[in-house]
Parts: sequence; C-alpha cells; structure tokens
Amino acid sequence: MKSAVGRKNKQGTEFEGEYASLLREYATGGGEAVLGRAYELGRRAISERKSLLELVSLHHQAVGQLFQSSDDKKFQEHLLRTSADFLSECMSPYEMAQRGFQDAVKALRQINETLEEEIKRIAYSVHDEAGQLLVAVHLALAKLAQELPPAQKEQVAQIEGLLSEIEKHLRRYSHELRPTILDDLGWIPAIRFLAEGVSKRAKLPIHIEAKISGRLPSTIETTLYRVVQEALTNAVKHAKAKNIWIRAWLKDQVLHCSIRDDGEGFDAEAVQASTSRKGLGLIAVRERLSAIGGTLWIESSRRRGTELLIRLPREENHVNSSSAR
Amino acid sequence: MTISSDQDIVLARQKGRSLALELGFSSGDATLIATAISELARNIVSYAIKGEVALKGIQGSNRVGILVIASDNGPGIPDIRQALRDGFSTSGSLGLGLPGVRRLMDEFEIVSKPGQGTTIGVKKWRP
Repeated sequence: MKSAVGRKNKQGTEFEGEYASLLREYATGGGEAVLGRAYELGRRAISERKSLLELVSLHHQAVGQLFQSSDDKKFQEHLLRTSADFLSECMSPYEMAQRGFQDAVKALRQINETLEEEIKRIAYSVHDEAGQLLVAVHLALAKLAQELPPAQKEQVAQIEGLLSEIEKHLRRYSHELRPTILDDLGWIPAIRFLAEGVSKRAKLPIHIEAKISGRLPSTIETTLYRVVQEALTNAVKHAKAKNIWIRAWLKDQVLHCSIRDDGEGFDAEAVQASTSRKGLGLIAVRERLSAIGGTLWIESSRRRGTELLIRLPREENHVNSSSAR
Repeated sequence: MTISSDQDIVLARQKGRSLALELGFSSGDATLIATAISELARNIVSYAIKGEVALKGIQGSNRVGILVIASDNGPGIPDIRQALRDGFSTSGSLGLGLPGVRRLMDEFEIVSKPGQGTTIGVKKWRP
C-alpha cells in the first residue's frame, strides 16, 4: 500500500492516455466493442476511486485535443456527437454506484429511526416492566419477613437493600438509553444527566459549559444527544481520556457543540476511511448530523487528544422559546 | 446467444442496445440496459466460463419493456442473498455487480443452485 501514491500518478497518466486513444478509436468508427471497453474503463475508474469531476475534465481535454487534431468539419461534427455516447458509457458504472449510495443513505436513515424506536421500547421495558417486577418482589419479601424471626428479618432487609440498588441502576440505565429529560427538559439537561453518569462510572471529570437555552425540534435534540453519547463513549473507551469538556454555544445563528478530550487521539482520516467499528461510528455520526443539516469537524492528534465539533445552522422555526427554561 | 468471451459480451451489448432503441427507450436508458447486460455477461464469463444471454421485447398491460435472461450451467451461487448484498464482492461494495444490475432495472429475478448453474432474468419498462 505504501507505493500507492507513486503508482497512482503512473496509473493516472496511463488512464488518461487510454481514455484519449479509446475515444479516438470510437470517433473514427469503432463500434460497440469500443463502447464495451469504455464501460470497462469507467468501471476501472470507479474502483480506482477516480472522482467523477476528474473523469469529466479528462473527457473534455481528450475531446478538445481530438477536435484540434483535424480540420475536417465532418469529423469534428461526428466527434462531438459520438463523444457524448462514449462519455455516458464511461459514466454508467457511476450511475450504478450512485443509485447504490442513494439506497444506502436511505437505508441508513431508516435504520436510525428504527433504532431510536427500539431504544425507546427497551428503555420502557427496563424502566417500567422490570421496575414493576421489582416492586412485586419487594412486596413478596415484606410479606415473607412478617412471618420470620428477627434474625432472619435482617437478612431479608439486606436483600431488600440490594434490590433497591438494582432498581436504582436499572432506572439510571433506562434514562440514559432514552432520557425522559430529553423530551421534558431538552438536550442540554439530558447531556448533563448523561455526563454525570459517565463521569461517575469512568471516574473522570466531564466539564460542561452550555451558553444556550431554548428547545429544538425533537429529532434534532435526539440527534445531538446521540452524537454526544457516541463521542463520550469513544473518549472513555478508546482515547483513555483524563478529562472531557463539552461546550455548547450559539454564534452567528449557528449552534456549536464541541466535545473535547485529552486522551490519546487518533488519525481521523485513516479511521474514517477504515471500516472499523470506530470508523463506522464516525461515519454514522456524520450521516446522522447531515440528516438534520448539521456538520461534523474532527480535530485529533496523538498529543492533544480529540475534539469533535458539531455545527448546526439554526433556522428561525427551530426555536420554540415558549418551552425554554 | 452464447457468451464465452469478451467479443460475445460486445455482441450482446450491441443487440441489447439496438433492441432497446427499437423499442423506443431513450439513448440514456439504452446505455443503462447495455450496462446491465455487461454486468450479467461478465458474471457468466468470470464464474461459469460459458452461458447464454437472451433478449426479448415484452408487452405489459399498457407498456413496453425489455427482458434480458442470462443463464449458465456454472457452479451456481450458494447464497443468493449474500450475492445480492452490497459489499459482498469488491464490485458490490461500489454498487456494481448484481446489486448494481438490480438497481438499474425495474424487475430482477434469480434462480441458482450450487452445481446447477444460475439463471437471472431482468426487465426494464419504458417510462
């Protein structure tokens, strides 16, 4: 892979030459066989990750050169007509790929929505259903304790204490999965709640500074919450951070939210290009944000840790000040 | 027509394109039909070495379309769902290959059993 760059340049000029000579062949009477090869060339271009614009400009150049190589008006007219067929042949693999990407993006958005529904359902089960069962166990224990001698009553009390502990944890997890605070109070209080839990469990301070108030539409608040959640998970799990800072502010009608850590940092470009869990996580974050019109900026270095910066242009109708607190 | 070489692929493309134009498809659609034929014929040459491609104009209730059937007696596809999934093969990860063909055409049908070859039928209707 290390020689890829050197090879790429050579490949690039080879490709250009091949394109030009194929186009010439087609313009001077080559038929379907040449179109077939043009198609293969397009296929190769796509697998070599050649950009569409690069291909179009290369085409333009090749047509220009051929045009100037002859004074024959008839040939020139023929060239202009046939070169369009040639180009669309070369582009058709891109058409296929583009349809694939459209489908994939649509599927990804749908998956996100389904996932959110699923999370709500699980959070409900953990909170309400498991909670009710625990209440039933409490009642049964209390009844049992009534009929027991004092020494054993104390043991039951211990068990009850453990049950209460379980209940507390379950409630906490359920709220973090899908905080009711998110719906009731908004994303900033929800993030504070989440950060409090993460901070306790990971034993590191999370500093929050939010100069922002007011509510946003619920899909946007949910997205922001999920992105911060993913960022916190990454910072704790992979970066081994000692501190995390979350800041949110509004500047020039653009909502900013930064999640920064002093952990190990990573090669953002390489990670995003890879299909590792982390790479896919970042792609998913970016995609989630783009679904609501937001962007993600990643700054990471081995020495200085990582900063994720979310930017979301605020539209007037996003502000719902009546429910601001 | 028999498909066993690159020349055969060219011939299949040519026939597919002219049939599509005859049926009244736009030249852009004819290009996409030739593309689908290329991908199907490519699969035959790479996996089964030899096979057949048949082309036919078809008549719906109030529309006209083209039917392409690619068949071979090659090794067959053990897991069709996997073969149709993006990212299964290198070409698939770029949206090419069988998943790409499925998206270019309106209807897609595949029958394949290991050891008994593969038959793929695709239809495209004229808009």
